[in-house]
Amino acid sequence: MEAMAEEKTEFEESEIKYVSYGGEHHLPLIMNLVDQELSEPYSIFTYRYFVYLWPQLSFLAFHKGKCVGTVVCKMGEHRNTFRGYIAMLVVIKPYRGRGIATELVTRSIRMMMESGCEEVTLEAEVTNKGALALYGRLGFIRAKRLFHYYLNGVDAFRLKLLFPPPPPPRQEL
Amino acid sequence: MADNSVSEEATMDGHSPKLASIPAGDSTVWADASPLLQAACTGLRDGELIHGDNFNLFAAMSALEIMDPKMDSGIVCTYYSIDEAVENGAAPIPISLDSTIDVQRTIDIMDHLLACEAAWHKGHSLAQTVFSCIYLLRLDRTAPHALLHSYCRIMRATCKAVVSVVSDARTHEEEDLFTMTYGLPLNGDGDDKCLSMLNAVEETISRQLRACKAASSKRRLPEDLEPLQSNPNLEAGFCKALLCRLRFRKHFFHVLACMKRPQGRGLESASKHIASCMTELESILKSADFIRSCFGESCEGDIDDKTTASGHEPIGFDAMLNSRLSAPTPPRAIKILSWKKAVEYFVKLLHDLDVICSYPLDPHLESLLRFVVQFQKSQPDLVARSHLQLLLVQDGKLYGRDPFFAVITKAAALPEATKNHDIQKNESILQLGMLVMNLLKVLCTNAAWQRRKLGKFLQDWRVIYVQLELAFRNEFGEVSSSSNDENICMKIFQHILLWVEEQTYWIAFRFLILGFELELYSTSEYCMVYWYLYAVLTKLAEKTHLKMAVSYDTAKRKGKKKKDSPKDLARESRIPPAVLFLQCYICLAEGLTMMLASLRNEISVFQSPGPFNTEQEKFAQHFELLQRACIPDHVSYPSYKESTTHARFSTLAMYNYFKDAQRIAKEVKSSFSNDPDRLAELRKLEQVAEHNSVAQNLICRLGALDPSLRVSFELSHHPFFATVVVKRS
Repeated sequence: MEAMAEEKTEFEESEIKYVSYGGEHHLPLIMNLVDQELSEPYSIFTYRYFVYLWPQLSFLAFHKGKCVGTVVCKMGEHRNTFRGYIAMLVVIKPYRGRGIATELVTRSIRMMMESGCEEVTLEAEVTNKGALALYGRLGFIRAKRLFHYYLNGVDAFRLKLLFPPPPPPRQEL
Repeated sequence: MADNSVSEEATMDGHSPKLASIPAGDSTVWADASPLLQAACTGLRDGELIHGDNFNLFAAMSALEIMDPKMDSGIVCTYYSIDEAVENGAAPIPISLDSTIDVQRTIDIMDHLLACEAAWHKGHSLAQTVFSCIYLLRLDRTAPHALLHSYCRIMRATCKAVVSVVSDARTHEEEDLFTMTYGLPLNGDGDDKCLSMLNAVEETISRQLRACKAASSKRRLPEDLEPLQSNPNLEAGFCKALLCRLRFRKHFFHVLACMKRPQGRGLESASKHIASCMTELESILKSADFIRSCFGESCEGDIDDKTTASGHEPIGFDAMLNSRLSAPTPPRAIKILSWKKAVEYFVKLLHDLDVICSYPLDPHLESLLRFVVQFQKSQPDLVARSHLQLLLVQDGKLYGRDPFFAVITKAAALPEATKNHDIQKNESILQLGMLVMNLLKVLCTNAAWQRRKLGKFLQDWRVIYVQLELAFRNEFGEVSSSSNDENICMKIFQHILLWVEEQTYWIAFRFLILGFELELYSTSEYCMVYWYLYAVLTKLAEKTHLKMAVSYDTAKRKGKKKKDSPKDLARESRIPPAVLFLQCYICLAEGLTMMLASLRNEISVFQSPGPFNTEQEKFAQHFELLQRACIPDHVSYPSYKESTTHARFSTLAMYNYFKDAQRIAKEVKSSFSNDPDRLAELRKLEQVAEHNSVAQNLICRLGALDPSLRVSFELSHHPFFATVVVKRS
């Protein structure tokens, strides 16, 4: 689930501070943001499931002490591949279109890559042009379409990013 | 906790002491868990989570927070039970003591039910749509109101018939919600009589209409008959509005029943009922003017958004009443279709069903596959697709009639006699029959699911090919002097092997082009997609051509052994139209690949270098299933790179593939003059080819020189061959 669009507010990009999930005091901030912006309802268990098991994959973006964006992820074995999964990505409306979401998600993906993930996946609503463009720029492909995936009846795309195999084996040599 | 203490506590809470009825077993006793829970609570600090091994993401996602309206579907409701709703007068019978208002309200209920039914077909749950109707939930209560009762009863029987078609068809993920009927009173006694009840009511109202017409022309009433309602000025209008609604339900019920008859025997009658349904739907639409006029006051908001013809809120519906019946999921947002949209939905559904009914049950697999693909182009909804699937595959046979081995021998261009050959008992041949059957079923599912299954099928078809080849070698590898029967076996194997290959490439082709329909490809990936499409189409054309040559050869040898006439020779050397058709596709795919490649190489557009991976990883992901099944052989990322890295505007200028495509499309059209679908397709291809040919010339002349040139690729003329658009920015 992703939320992104074009409205803007006045701020310097250098004023945005990014922090890794730091504990229970961050949880209400994440929950507020996600509840506000995403269509799917999540229980407290879902949030805790992610942030307690993979705190290193969750990040928050702050502007002058106010939380304006967050990303929540997991990783694990999936059908013989070690796979990262981006569960939630939110930037509040006035701060969108300035690269905050890209920065948040890039940090998570980098952590996943360093942790040995072979690929990263997520789902996004087919109507969410902003999110689809963002992930497209990061190298994700639309691997599948999932019919009526969301509770609101909208289809989803399963997006996938495959990392290159670790060097040295390059076959064409 | 002991039995009696449970019952005590339960009673203290004010609930009925039902728990007491659960006795302790031989090896179980009731125990008070409160101290344990208390201890666990004090042992945990705020925010800590007990994480069992079985508490996975699914468990976390399935957990619901009670009292949160976004999650707890039980909290947002007016009534806690149907009985409570009935007691509160939410669904009165009669609906009004004023007979005119009663009829008006009844029409509103009928209209809203139609809107609910359409919303259900479109993917919402039965419980929150049709069964939001309190009258339907307590159908027996409606018995004194013959009109409402008969309508509700046929409604329920119709829902049941539709549920059964969809669940029999097993259309996978779509059916989950659609066929979920848990806790709903779908199986009532006496629904078999719903048609006779409806007929009786229809008869009464048509007599009332006749009587009213007679009265207005001052003729004597033929019999003593109570009018429908008390206002003589509105009598005829109301009778007509009701009759078309009742008759629509009757014919629709007949349509469903006829279409279910085995071996397509009811299709002709179904077609007649479909025509009647269409006529009644027209009358229903026309009745809206009368209905609105007799209400006097106009309703608030846009009439086109309302779920009834009158624009009034119907009486007797509560969508939240059943919300606790739905599985433990958060409440789904329900948007009932407007009445106008619902009528449009049924027109579309009936049209789709009519297309199925008009299909002549062609035993040739090739034309059948083309029919299914063409049918899917109009994007039919679940109900129509389920009917098609049930018609195609019944009792493990095509149309419940032709065994799949016979279908395969026909498709593989084998002589008629081979369809009874013992070889059909061969294990691999049996499996092949299953594959064909599954292929037909999957082609009837929604495009998203279909593509995923087709991708997986590729592997199966590849495996069956290898198995058949092995069986073939085992049986005939060493034999030099063969008997006549062995000759036949050999021929069957040869033909079938060739056909399996052709079929496999056809599946691969479908898999690739469905990606366009589902919007899975971005423009920066078009180059590799068209390149792969080109590779698959080339093999498909090759196998098709070979199959046709072999079958022609067989047919010729089977016929009288005349000396080859010059006419025969000419026919033999001519490329068959079906292959030329594919050739046209090939030219377009190759032309687009080369144009995209040269644009990428010369002016660095349509590339998308990301921070984490390269085009090679995207290639691996998009074509993983094809690559794993070696479809086609020797096709890989390096071979893609090799054939595209050297493309330049100068090489593009040397050969215009689009011109070839245009020429072929023009030429081959005459061969398909009696096939309107393929003729239409050829016209589209010709258009794309013509556009792209001009665009290519422009790009070659100006591309590198004019930096203001903007090139884009749009699927405006054809679903998977893009039109190249060149603009100056």
